[in-house]
Amino acid sequence: MRTYVRKRIDSANKCSYNVYMSNIISGFTTKEKLEILADAAKYDVACTSSGVDRKGKKGELGNSKACGICHSFAADGRCISLLKVLMTNHCVYDCKYCINRRSNDVPRAAFEPEELCNLVIEFYKRNYIEGLFFSSGVMVSPDYTSEKMCETLLLLRTKYHFNGYIHVKTIPGTSDELIAKIGLLADRISVNLELPTAESLKELAPNKNFSKILDPMEKISDTIAAHRLAIGKDARMERANINRYLDNSIFNSRMTIDGEKVKAIGDGRENIGLSRSVNNKTDYTALVPQGKQGGDLKRPFAPAGQSTQMIIGATPESDLTLLETTQRLYQAYDLKRVFFSAYIPINEDKALPAIGTAPPLLREHRLYQADWLLRYYGFQAKELLTEQRPFFNEQIDPKCDWAVRHLEAFPVEVKTASYDVLLRVPGIGPKSAMRIINSRRYGALSFESLKRMGVVLKRAHYFITCNGKMMFKTRIEEDYITSRLADSESKENWRIAHQNEQFHQMTLFETYGAMSS
Amino acid sequence: MNVFTCEDNLESKLTCIYTAWEKAIKVGHSNVRLEVEPIYMSNLFDEYTHVEADNIKAQKVSNSINSKISPDVYISVYYALLSNEDDALDSAYRFLINAFKVGNNAIFAINTPENMRMMELRRRVGNEIHSFVEFLRFHSINNQVYIGHIEPKADVIELVGRHFDDRMPSENWMIIDDNRRYAVVHPKDGDNYIKQLSSEEFERLRQTEGIDDVYTEMWRAFFDAIAIKERANRRCQMNHIPLWMRKHAVEFQG
Repeated sequence: MRTYVRKRIDSANKCSYNVYMSNIISGFTTKEKLEILADAAKYDVACTSSGVDRKGKKGELGNSKACGICHSFAADGRCISLLKVLMTNHCVYDCKYCINRRSNDVPRAAFEPEELCNLVIEFYKRNYIEGLFFSSGVMVSPDYTSEKMCETLLLLRTKYHFNGYIHVKTIPGTSDELIAKIGLLADRISVNLELPTAESLKELAPNKNFSKILDPMEKISDTIAAHRLAIGKDARMERANINRYLDNSIFNSRMTIDGEKVKAIGDGRENIGLSRSVNNKTDYTALVPQGKQGGDLKRPFAPAGQSTQMIIGATPESDLTLLETTQRLYQAYDLKRVFFSAYIPINEDKALPAIGTAPPLLREHRLYQADWLLRYYGFQAKELLTEQRPFFNEQIDPKCDWAVRHLEAFPVEVKTASYDVLLRVPGIGPKSAMRIINSRRYGALSFESLKRMGVVLKRAHYFITCNGKMMFKTRIEEDYITSRLADSESKENWRIAHQNEQFHQMTLFETYGAMSS
Repeated sequence: MNVFTCEDNLESKLTCIYTAWEKAIKVGHSNVRLEVEPIYMSNLFDEYTHVEADNIKAQKVSNSINSKISPDVYISVYYALLSNEDDALDSAYRFLINAFKVGNNAIFAINTPENMRMMELRRRVGNEIHSFVEFLRFHSINNQVYIGHIEPKADVIELVGRHFDDRMPSENWMIIDDNRRYAVVHPKDGDNYIKQLSSEEFERLRQTEGIDDVYTEMWRAFFDAIAIKERANRRCQMNHIPLWMRKHAVEFQG
């Protein structure tokens, strides 16, 4: 039967396809659909509900907090903030890494718009979720799918008066008009970059191509900028306040991309991944909708900005490539977040790691740490990695790694060091640095008080002096400090790399065949 | 040493600060101490005085902190008074001594142990409020009323209720603190108010926790489906949502 479905999808005959669809849909209850479509959506990483503050209104349901609210944590430790589902997991594409690819034999289902709206509202009222994360497989065509998604969102915002958070993943190849409509209904839009280079994308996602992904991303970011300008805000998204104090920050007003000064949003775009011919003229009206959208809805265009995600570990890119692409996405496309997803082998294919290969969790962890260094600590990708060393040292975190290679700058005296210098010390973060700055004006600091302020002395004590003294007698040598840091972190690193393995108490009466193998 | 004791609520605690300060003007701040009742073990050489809540005195304390120091300092003190930690009340008092000397900067001058302790208390209570905003679960009673139970350590339900006042203004809902046995009630399109629960009321409301509907079931199904088993990480889950906060979260039951 399923082969039959597949054939039908291949032919993409709209009418007969739909008739057939409704037949299969009727076979599942809402609960079963939810299970299938949540299971299919779980590999999407982003589950953030942050970036926009919106007050509630009488007669409506919901508000939104810029800090984001997680509502639960799943067995894998990832937060559940939004109801993460696909509208359908039917898909006409055959991307090799994806569980929902056309050639996979998995149960397929689709939500009816009303059905999904109901689910969102009822979950929201019980405080299970913060909103909806809405993605979909490509049913019939990108436009057909997006239209269905749009219908659902419009229903949710108008008929159901839902005022909470909505994150929409756009389908590559959707027409501009539909993206414009979606942007006005959602809080955050994302386009998945999937892979950092055009070659890898061609290899693993034969139906997608790089410009089809970058094109909407570009238009969305221009439209967000235009909408922000129209209401009197800065064209660029708000960033963490810290960045104002950091001269070297990638979000600084004096920022440069590859040594060239950035003036407007859109500068430096030609450098992403591959050189593609872009018309450099920024078209702010790209997605500005014509006419009224959905009755009295007056909403800003994607107020929480745009995000994307990349798969790591399925293709041979280096950490440097990934991080540089990330930095350019932040600067040239003004993305709010870039997510990384450790590839979990789910499909058998000779172009992919074999099933059973452990997902590169520690590598993913290091990349996220580096991403934070870009966004909150004023680091640049080029500082953290170089052509000679294109991969992170998995034993110690990127900040420690940077510090041990720049011992000439250490130790710093916490009583006098400036904010950006303090922020570069491993073990000191934005909050503890601010506490140090604020409190040292009023009295002396000690290692004890630093600890209570939240400084992680385990890492920091190699790099700081307090009142002219180090905490212990330490040799300021790269190898020595690296080995000490790696040693103290080894347990945690092991835990991240082996987080899903099961343990049990040893007994005398069992044989441990598995252990010797 | 003069020890002033009071009941565990905001008004009593503020009155206690007032009374203790009055005494301290004569005997010095180092000779007074504040404690929250019940006192299990009293010292032989200390003199214990029970302080009864007095709205006017409490108001005076809050007004003078707000106007003479700053609203931000009052928020710190307020959070500390919500805390359930033994030394919280006395710490708030010690912090105020500093704050009246140096003003709003007492919040930043965390070199002294009193100010440092205050920063910690505020952070801890603030985090707890945020956690229960996240992990509170409502049970729907015939789609008419939504009732949620929590067992927080600090006395946070009023502030948790404030969040939902903005979020669900046009629903009837109620948040119940199972330990302190009182509730924040929100009538549809109205304002929040606080209600002390009698034991019959409490027993009756307690049964709402047994009410599961189709959406509870679906939420559990979703919760299980969304986890990636290749990435299972119990310790990480435990760090984010510790066991004591899971007590009333439906996805961890049944």
